[in-house]
Amino acid sequence: MSVQSLAESGAVQDPDAWAVEVHGLTKRFGANIAVNRVELTVPRGCAFGYLGPNGAGKTTLMRMLLGLTHADVGTMSMLGHSVPKDRDKALARVGAIVDEPRFHQHLSGSDNLAMLASSREPAANTRIAPALDRVGLGRRADDKVGSYSMGMRQRLGVAACLLGDPELLILDEPMNGLDPAGMSDMREMILSFVDEGRTVVLSSHLLDEVQRTCDSVAIVDRGTVIRQGPIAELLAGSSLVLEVECSEPERARGLLLRVATGSSIDLVPFGLSATLPPGSGRDLVAEISRVLVEGGVDIYRIQPLQASLESWFLEVTSRLGAAQ
Amino acid sequence: MTAATGETNIRPSNARSRGAVPDHRGSWLPSGRMIAARWYELRKRRGLMLLLAGVTVGLPTVYLAIRLVLHAVAPHTYGPAGGYDGYVNLVAGVLYVFGFIVAATLGATAGSVDLTEGMFRHHVITGRSRLALYLARIPAGLGIILPLMAIGFTIVCAVSVFAAPSTLDYNGARVPAQLSRAELVHWATDHPNEVVNNFPLRINPGDLPNTACLPGPSGPDGRGAKAFPGSTTGPCTTAQLRALAVNVANESYDDYSRHFLSPSISLMVKSGLWIGLEAVVAFLIGLGLASLLGQRTVAVVLMIVLELILTPLAVRAHLPHLMNLQRAVIGAATAHVEPGGLPRPFGGSQTEQVLALHEPTGVAIVVIIAWIVVWTGLGAWRMSTRDA
Repeated sequence: MSVQSLAESGAVQDPDAWAVEVHGLTKRFGANIAVNRVELTVPRGCAFGYLGPNGAGKTTLMRMLLGLTHADVGTMSMLGHSVPKDRDKALARVGAIVDEPRFHQHLSGSDNLAMLASSREPAANTRIAPALDRVGLGRRADDKVGSYSMGMRQRLGVAACLLGDPELLILDEPMNGLDPAGMSDMREMILSFVDEGRTVVLSSHLLDEVQRTCDSVAIVDRGTVIRQGPIAELLAGSSLVLEVECSEPERARGLLLRVATGSSIDLVPFGLSATLPPGSGRDLVAEISRVLVEGGVDIYRIQPLQASLESWFLEVTSRLGAAQ
Repeated sequence: MTAATGETNIRPSNARSRGAVPDHRGSWLPSGRMIAARWYELRKRRGLMLLLAGVTVGLPTVYLAIRLVLHAVAPHTYGPAGGYDGYVNLVAGVLYVFGFIVAATLGATAGSVDLTEGMFRHHVITGRSRLALYLARIPAGLGIILPLMAIGFTIVCAVSVFAAPSTLDYNGARVPAQLSRAELVHWATDHPNEVVNNFPLRINPGDLPNTACLPGPSGPDGRGAKAFPGSTTGPCTTAQLRALAVNVANESYDDYSRHFLSPSISLMVKSGLWIGLEAVVAFLIGLGLASLLGQRTVAVVLMIVLELILTPLAVRAHLPHLMNLQRAVIGAATAHVEPGGLPRPFGGSQTEQVLALHEPTGVAIVVIIAWIVVWTGLGAWRMSTRDA
């Protein structure tokens, strides 16, 4: 599905209101197009997931936004400031982790943050201790970073993001290297940032985590954004799976094919599994139930399953792959 | 979220209002906090600091300490630790050559570790000007190397002055040190034979009034003396010998003054500034080269090759067709502005080097400035344009 320009669609009434706005962004590495005419808008005050398989161009887009590499074509803005033209103004209220967070190994966590605070406004110095406390590194602040685990370095990276009291946080794979407890902590932290009114843009391929954390997502594949929107709305457009535990599954299958045209129905050990067409609602489930009962099939259990972000992602990307 | 996909239509939330504090982070000028932070980061590199302190302070200190101890234990076998000779050798040898290498190493470290340790991108993400990030490294690095050089140099000066011998063995004559011209002449009238027989200046007695005599074994004190070749005059009287010694002392004073037991204040100030200049130049070249390459090791190796191999070749080789290229070597230019009174760096006599590479002072200064500007510019350009 092609993505048309927001400007053309007229959807943007106040461009300054977007936390991130990208139009026609393209980046090539030789013959390889890493980012291909990306159109993306991120509203303020939400957690936004930027999803895609490895090599899809997620990190490259973030690096261009942050001025770490140059775009070949396209326009970008963050918090209403054009990038790279006004990158100093834009980045003044942005915190980011890109790739694996690395620091000076011979300095303590606190000293590393002091180094980074020196590049920011003077008030950043006063935020070092609170930032370390917030990410749970207050007691290890004076230990050398060389002795930190991967998860601690991730958290130190988040603390570094907080030095500028950011309005926008851009986190590249923030869950990488974290154990389950660490992932839970990170999730809580991201949600608390959003509660404070900050915007969080995160990339990940841990789709379950993204679903639990983010309000909206964009799916990127081969450098192109192929879908974007609130998770609930995106999933509403996905297939609905109906599990039916019943007597006489073969006869039930025949009845279902008549009432739910366009469905894919499989016989499974407990009965039937029906994948209903996208957009199928509760009315169809009720109709199926009625037809089966009237057809003399005993129903022991009938359960509609909401598609997960992961299944939807696989469905979208595989559909796209098949089309190509 | 967007109508672009046809699937979503989220409206942006009310943005949280955070007023950006103007802090001139787009300016190319580094702030004092940035410089202080960079200085702190370099200073906390224990291995590097040990190397710097070891070479600039430790090496001359250990050398002088050993000489002090040896002289204290066996004064007749080992001369005093201080003095002019030790000073010039330490300054033009150890501090100049090794000071260049450690300053370049520090520059290469300052120019590359942010990249190799992944901190450069953190700094770039703050929105701070990349040029300011680069320029902050210069005062920070110089704030480390120059004080260390100053400490090492001060120790050398102190020992050279305060542990200097009380007399000077001047071509076999033991002469008191630090005499003025009048004092040397007065000393010469009291020690005419030592002056006439040992001072290097040779004067045809026939050219001197009232000295038409032959100082020698038949002289008034009967001590051995060299006859002037071809002299046909008779032995000198005591008065004639003293007159001759006065003339020799007068003519020798300039040479004597260059061999004072301890270096003059003027020489110490000039040579201090000279090795300081050398350290600044080496640091800036190392910084620029490492920033350009994005790594430290190759930059340090190249700097060592430049200092220990290319520069001595450029200074000493006689290559008429490549003379301009030789003049463009930074070591040749800094050697050219070496203060008088110091031996030439990289070996070879002054005469040899002057014959091999004649270079006006103005050209040397232009070469030094050009090296600083070009390498600083290249480093700044690369750091401003590279992917972080």
